[in-house]
Amino acid sequence: MTVLNVTINGKTMEVAEGTTILQAANAAGIEIPTLCHHPALKDIGACRMCLVQIENMAALQPACSYPVIDGIKVETHTPRTLEMRKFVLEMLFSERNHYCMFCEMSGDCELQKQAYAHGLAHWTYPTPNPKLQVDASRTYFIMDHNRCILCRRCIRACGDVVGNHTLGMMSRGAKTMVTADMDEPFGDSTCVSCGTCLQVCPTGALVDRRSAYGGRNKDVDTVNSACTFCSIGCRVNVITRNGRPLRVEGDWDGHNQGVLCLAGRFQPLETGRRRVTTPMVKRDGALEPATWDEALAAVAKGVQAAVPGKIHAWVTAATLDQPMDAVVETFRGKFGGDVKTLEAAPPPGETPNGGAMKDIDTADLVLVVDADPLTEHRVLGYRIKRAADNGARILVCADGDNSMADFAHEAFPLSKLDWALASVTTAERPVVVYRAAMDPRLRAKLAVIKAVCIPLHAAANAARAISLGLNNEADGDAEALYILLEEQALTPEQREQAHKAPFVVMHACYVDDVDGLADVVLPAPLWYEREGTFHNIEGKSERVRPAAPPPEDIWSETSVLQQLSLRV
Amino acid sequence: MAKPKIATDWMGDCAGCHMSLLDMDERLLTVLGKVELTSSPITDLKHPPEEGVAVGVLSGSINNTSNVYVARMMRKRSGCLIAMGDCAVLGGVLSMRNAFDIKEGLRRAYIDTESTVDGFIPQSDELAKPIRNRPLDQVVKVDYHLPGCPPSADAIFHVLNELAEGREPVVEGEALKYD
Ligand code: SF4
Ligand code: SF4
Ligand code: SF4
Ligand code: SF4
Ligand code: FES
Repeated sequence: MTVLNVTINGKTMEVAEGTTILQAANAAGIEIPTLCHHPALKDIGACRMCLVQIENMAALQPACSYPVIDGIKVETHTPRTLEMRKFVLEMLFSERNHYCMFCEMSGDCELQKQAYAHGLAHWTYPTPNPKLQVDASRTYFIMDHNRCILCRRCIRACGDVVGNHTLGMMSRGAKTMVTADMDEPFGDSTCVSCGTCLQVCPTGALVDRRSAYGGRNKDVDTVNSACTFCSIGCRVNVITRNGRPLRVEGDWDGHNQGVLCLAGRFQPLETGRRRVTTPMVKRDGALEPATWDEALAAVAKGVQAAVPGKIHAWVTAATLDQPMDAVVETFRGKFGGDVKTLEAAPPPGETPNGGAMKDIDTADLVLVVDADPLTEHRVLGYRIKRAADNGARILVCADGDNSMADFAHEAFPLSKLDWALASVTTAERPVVVYRAAMDPRLRAKLAVIKAVCIPLHAAANAARAISLGLNNEADGDAEALYILLEEQALTPEQREQAHKAPFVVMHACYVDDVDGLADVVLPAPLWYEREGTFHNIEGKSERVRPAAPPPEDIWSETSVLQQLSLRV
Repeated sequence: MAKPKIATDWMGDCAGCHMSLLDMDERLLTVLGKVELTSSPITDLKHPPEEGVAVGVLSGSINNTSNVYVARMMRKRSGCLIAMGDCAVLGGVLSMRNAFDIKEGLRRAYIDTESTVDGFIPQSDELAKPIRNRPLDQVVKVDYHLPGCPPSADAIFHVLNELAEGREPVVEGEALKYD
């Protein structure tokens, strides 16, 4: 590593080659104002907020994208740099509509913050205020071009981080616009609504429909947790106000590197479904609210009436370790019953694993086998597309429609797995991503090749289910059936099978899931109310923290199971 | 020595800035101990005296010919002029109107409003004519800008007190807000 000397504001330090002036300054605790810079994005020097004075150079230079040269001497806060920054701000404010008094971002906006810091009490230049479009064609967030400062953070996020390349620029000068594809409405474009652009936008140009006007950063609470809506287990920050979730943001330090998909960022907050808020017991053919005492007594009675071998429990493999363990302890250990998962479990045999998300970044070949990551494990799919941008070859080996196939260099049917594997052997750093529950004979072929393997499971915590020896060969001969459903859904076949059981208990979140099926309903906390652990795609134990307490009458699943265990 | 005179007036605004001025509460007495308030929309005398004042304060944006008249009169009669509030400084909420044609706006307000029956656009030579919205400094010279929607009572007190004490009012830190 080459070490370079740099002097910033008279302070000399050593930095590694490739360090930018901005990075060096930040490391030394010197703050340089920025707008287009974002730590997760490549710097392009678009906004000129970070201009600094370099000794013996006539023009000011952008600190964010200027690499340190050995012996360079930099001044960050001179009358000239301050004047220039003020000028840049004046230009930005005069270009579009920045009337903060009616802007959603006011209070948290980075542009506004800089204007305050630079004492802009009014704008010197006239504001022609073109009447630009507000594009509300996307379901979850809105683009208001009138607030956009053309910093291109969204474009870099979409292209370089998500690998989706929906966003770009159109026209020049004052007419420049952020556009999707060939100037399509965002909602009709190739945008996958991952929301990464929304998360990086420094102004009020991109607005989250749900959390808009819901509270400024100073009013909200942020809890670091994990998404359990697929087996990737992306790290998230859940933002709440007074116990009400406002939005979900990707954690830049997680293995997902800040990226989420719409199933983790937006959909969980937009269900609009009626929640189960109290225990319920069926009386005269209809479910009626009951006390916990009545509900648990009814479950105990139903369980005791059944032959132990015919007491079954179905548990979603999306649940956390603690409730899953508690179901197994109670139903298998204590009641002598049988526990299955609702989601497909891998058949017995070796499930080659050990790969990490970052292995994809350095792979020269990624082979996807019998899986559709862009549909079911989206953040991993984005990561693979990004790898393709960086030169990796992408092979897809799967039957039927596969959304990854459009981006693959070669696609094979599953019967041609051997051909695909032949390419893997020629690669230097191959990664194989496959469906864990695939045909075990084909899976065995993956176990013997030299590649990093990442199994994709049907639910977030399938790894725990496997280690507890659970599979999903559910049958219909139960006399008493307990289902830990949470916010998952039964398939029509599972529903039909459950119907055959004379006594059904459902531990679930939503009313329409339990109606017409359950004899007893136990309310379950929602995803942002749960606490515990699970294993993510990399096999690492991840913490899930509650961002809000559950409503008063909803107990944690483990304490419900404990109480039940005591009563039988 | 006589206390310096100060006058305020409003143009196209919601009166919130003057409410905020009243929000100074007991500090109003501090200010009034140092200056003489000759006229304002919230006193009996509405117009700045002909002989002039040391400090003129205007809230609201320029939206019609009457606003132009008020602005010019205040400018002529004030030693120094303060633009108070986002409307006066930037154009304010009323600037949203600029995205539409004035005729279209009048129609919407006087005829198309859901609750209006038999609406008509009032027309009389005595009425001011609506014009494109603009901030105060596009019509007359402004000496000090105090943005905010409305500016806080603290910020207003700061500016008036600094002027009363003969210092240049600098709007920064907590006093500088655009919303
Ligand atoms: S984007 Fe920022 S600067 Fe522009 S109006 Fe909104 S808060 Fe103000
Ligand atoms: S939408 Fe936001 S992130 Fe994108 S260029 Fe405009 S201001 Fe920057
Ligand atoms: S939501 Fe995702 S895919 Fe869509 S434009 Fe933004 S970053 Fe690109
Ligand atoms: S990829 Fe999976 S874990 Fe990540 S946000 Fe989407 S659903 Fe959640
Ligand atoms: S932050 Fe450096 S140019 Fe924008």
